[in-house]
Order: sequence, then structure tokens, then C-alpha cells
Amino acid sequence: MKKTIKYAIDFVLIVGTAFLLLFLVGYVRPLVIAPLDGLKTTENSVLFSFEKADTILIDDNIEFTSPEKIHVKDNLIVNLKPGTYYWKVQGISQSEIRKLTIESEIDLKLKEKDLEKGVYDIVNAGNTVLDVGVYDKEDLQETISLGIDEEKEVSGTKFIGEIKNE
Amino acid sequence: MNKKILFFWIFILSFILLFNIISVCALGVTPARNTLDFEPGLKKDLSFSIINSEHKDMNIIIYAEGELAKSIILQGDSSFKMSASEESREIKYSLKIPNELRPGVRIGEIVILETPVKTSNDQNYIGATVAVVTQIYVYVPYPGKYAEAELNVVNAEQGGEAVFVIPIVNRGDLGLENIRVNIDIYNKLNEKITTINSETISIISGEKKDIVVKWKADSPVGTYRAVATVIYDGETISLEKQFNIGTADLDLQEITVNDFSLGQIAKMEMLVENKWSEPITGAYAQTNIFNAKGEVMVDFKSATQDFSPLSKEVLTSYWDTGGVGEGTYEASVYLRYGEKSSQKDLQLKVSEDNLEIIGLGYVISSGRSSSSDGNSGLIFILIVVVVVLILVNLLWFLVLRKKPKK
Repeated sequence: MKKTIKYAIDFVLIVGTAFLLLFLVGYVRPLVIAPLDGLKTTENSVLFSFEKADTILIDDNIEFTSPEKIHVKDNLIVNLKPGTYYWKVQGISQSEIRKLTIESEIDLKLKEKDLEKGVYDIVNAGNTVLDVGVYDKEDLQETISLGIDEEKEVSGTKFIGEIKNE
Repeated sequence: MNKKILFFWIFILSFILLFNIISVCALGVTPARNTLDFEPGLKKDLSFSIINSEHKDMNIIIYAEGELAKSIILQGDSSFKMSASEESREIKYSLKIPNELRPGVRIGEIVILETPVKTSNDQNYIGATVAVVTQIYVYVPYPGKYAEAELNVVNAEQGGEAVFVIPIVNRGDLGLENIRVNIDIYNKLNEKITTINSETISIISGEKKDIVVKWKADSPVGTYRAVATVIYDGETISLEKQFNIGTADLDLQEITVNDFSLGQIAKMEMLVENKWSEPITGAYAQTNIFNAKGEVMVDFKSATQDFSPLSKEVLTSYWDTGGVGEGTYEASVYLRYGEKSSQKDLQLKVSEDNLEIIGLGYVISSGRSSSSDGNSGLIFILIVVVVVLILVNLLWFLVLRKKPKK
């Protein structure tokens, strides 16, 4: 066999193998679409969108020492508490690691119920459990705990909401 | 006729007016808390956003309070107006941490207060004030060695693995060298059934690490108690948590129909087993039978029934077969208890004097199994491709290329 033919076959095999291996690695690597890396949001419900993977791993540290594993076929909405998370998806191989921050948000709503008696409905429309101080003028009457989306009837003149102490 | 239309519009307007009278006062802030580690004399620029979620004109007053109040320097006015068109406003502030603070969590608070605004329409006036608080937590290390820990347990299926996760934060000013966890597991009779130990780790000051301990849950289904002792450099922390092995589960085992006659009411006796070692109360069966188009043709429920632990009970449902033709119908039986539900798909073969139940497997299949099957096939193809590539390369470079010329 001529040397040039040998070299040509060498070239085709080496380059072809390299291309094929690169293609295979790229093909099996999961594709993560959403959420974007470094996303900061106050929404607790996060849509995870990806392809070529069947497991989402979410942890609060980049080493994934105690990840929450969620087995899914396709996209999935996950409810997360406020905090910083690292996540990746796993199929035949693993995807890149992305960071996600759910920022705590207080949203306190006061709805008038009986204006003469000073009775209101107070609603926690934020994403954290709240301690709400109920004041009559400047005197603290009571502190009530208000869960997410919870509504309670209260009576007072001033209402101060803050994140519940752990 | 015109009067009727007039009354109709008056009614609509009154309704809208009544709705408007129920006024709402709302105020938001994000983030609700900022957390920092203590560094003597550190000056840090931070910010928060005030959220006008009701899109209305607001008078806002901001002030700092708490033990870090003097360290908080607000930038800009402490009293201002937000217009209805302003959805949120970012407020910047500086935190100048003192050189010395007591160990533990030191807290500063910024209070955002909405004062009542009187509008031209007095009915929209709320006399009360609403305030929200954004907190600043500064963690000051304790002198020496000090750790904080908590215990989280990921429940396990019977025969699976229960996972104990113990996040440990080194809140002392010295590094912790030998941290390990000892976990005793107790059953409902308070008998210790096993003890497991973690490996030893070290954590530098201010850092957080998780210790993860796995336990093969080969005990009967039920509720257990884990008592964990975190041992570090001669100190201990005790933690305790309840967890479950297995899940509360009802299993539909068979359906018996006696004396069936098409057009009459069929009595369906469903034998259901409680696989859980705890009582289950208020369980019932709901049956959906579908027509040829896949639409729900009939939907009926059994009475509720309480189940003792690991017992079998019969749930009785009645199906009025009036107007039902002979044939085979798809059906789904849901066992509902508390917030849980399990589904079993069946076929009902209806003839003039017989109702045959053709049982199918549970449709509850995790996406994992089907997806894993797909992955296995793909992995096999990829392995074949790689092996063929290796063989072709070996054949060429080791055999064909070196073959001597004839």
C-alpha cells in the first residue's frame, strides 16, 4: 500500500474518531435551558427546563453533599424556599452546575373589614412566614404568626411585619 | 323597558362602588433579611427594594432600629412619596460593623412605614398604618469552639435508604477538627433498633458543612425517632427528629360483584389492604368508568372507612348500570385518604348477567423507569459505537497498516 494512502487512512480514522467522540460527548450531555445561571427571583415556583436528562439535583452547596433528587421526564416546576441553590441535571452524563437565588420577600396586605371597630384582614402575600406585630397606637398588643398566603382577622392601628425568627 | 335598563346600570354601579369601598393597604420589601459574618470595622454597602404591590400613592418613612441601628446609615431621604406608577424603589444603605460585638446573632432592622394617604375619595382611606421590616443579621463568632447543627431526615421506602443530613456551622472563632455524628434510631415502642456513626470531618471558623449518614431501612414500615449526637472536640449537641419508613399506602387487592344483572344496580365490594403500620381514617374509593371516546361515563364513590394498621377492609360502591350496554369499559379506581390518592386502572367486561373485572397494573409509574429504559437503550448504542470505533482503529493501526507487502 502506498504511503500516501496509508497516511490518508490514518488521517480519516483519527479525525473521524475524534469528531465522532466529540459528537457523542456533546450528544449525551444534557442541555439545560432554564432557569438561567445566577438567576435571582422572589418567585418560589421555579420552572426547570432541560433536555436529555431525567433527574434534577438541587443543593445548597456546590459540592452537592446532600442533594434533593427529583426524577422527572421533562420540564418541572419546583417550589423552593428563599435561599441560594446550586442545581444540575443528570441523564447519561451530568450538565453544568447553575446557581439560583430565591430572595425573601415580604408583602403585607391590609384589607378593611370594619372601619369603625378598626377590624382588618391581614394577608401575607410574600414568600416567607411572618411575625406580625399588632399595635394599638404605640402599644404592642400581640404578635401573630402568618404563614405564606395566610389571612387573619386583626384589630389595631399599626401592623409591622417581619420575617419569622428561626 | 328603559326603567329596567336604568335599574340594571344602577345595580352594576352600586356593586362596583361597594367593591371599591373595600380598600387595601399593601407594602412589600425584598430581601426580608441580609446575613453577614462579623468582621471588625467592616463597612458594607447594601440595598433593599420597597415594593408598591397595590400600585397606589404612598407616603413612606424609613428608620433603623435594633442593636445595630447606629451602624446603619441610610442613603437618601428617610421620608418620601411613592407614586402609583412606581412599582418598586431601591434604597441603598451602609452598614458599618463596630470593632466589637457580643458573640451570637446581632440584629439590625430597617422599618419601612407607610403612613395613611387621604385621597379625594375619602371612602378609600385606611386609618391604620402598615410597616414591613428588612433585617440585618450579623453572626459574631463565639470565643473558642462552638458549633450549631440541625437534623434533617429524608424518609425511606422499606428496604431503601433513609438519609440523615446534619448541616453543621462552625460559629466559633477556632477551627473544629474532629466532628462526627452518632445516631440512635428508636421504634415506636421506644426500643433502640440500631446505632449508626458518621465519618469524622473538620470545619474552619464560619464555614458550614453537611454530614450525611445513610441507613438501610430494613425495618417494618412505620414511624421512627432518630436521636443524633453531634460530637466535636469534646463538646456535644443533641438533636432529635421523627421520620417514616414507607409511606401510608392503601392497596386495592380485588373487586367482587355478586348477582350482577345488567340494567340493575351492581354492588362492587373492593377489598383494600392498609400496608401502613398506623391507622388510616376516612378512606374511600372513587370509580370512574369511561366510554369508547375516553370520556367519563359515570363517577361514583364508596362510603368512607377507617383502617386499622396492616388490616384489610371492604369498601362498597354501587354502580347503576341502567342504560349501559354490553361491552368492555376502561375504568379507574382511586383510593383517597387524607391528601393522598392511589390509582388503579381496570377493565370492566359487562355482559347481560356477568361483570368481569380485568385488573391492570398500577399506572403510578415514575418518569424514571421509562426514561431509564430509554437511557439504557441509548447507552447500549453508544457503547456499541465506541467499541466498533476502537476495533476499527486497532485493526487498522495494529494489523492492516503493518501488513507486509506481498
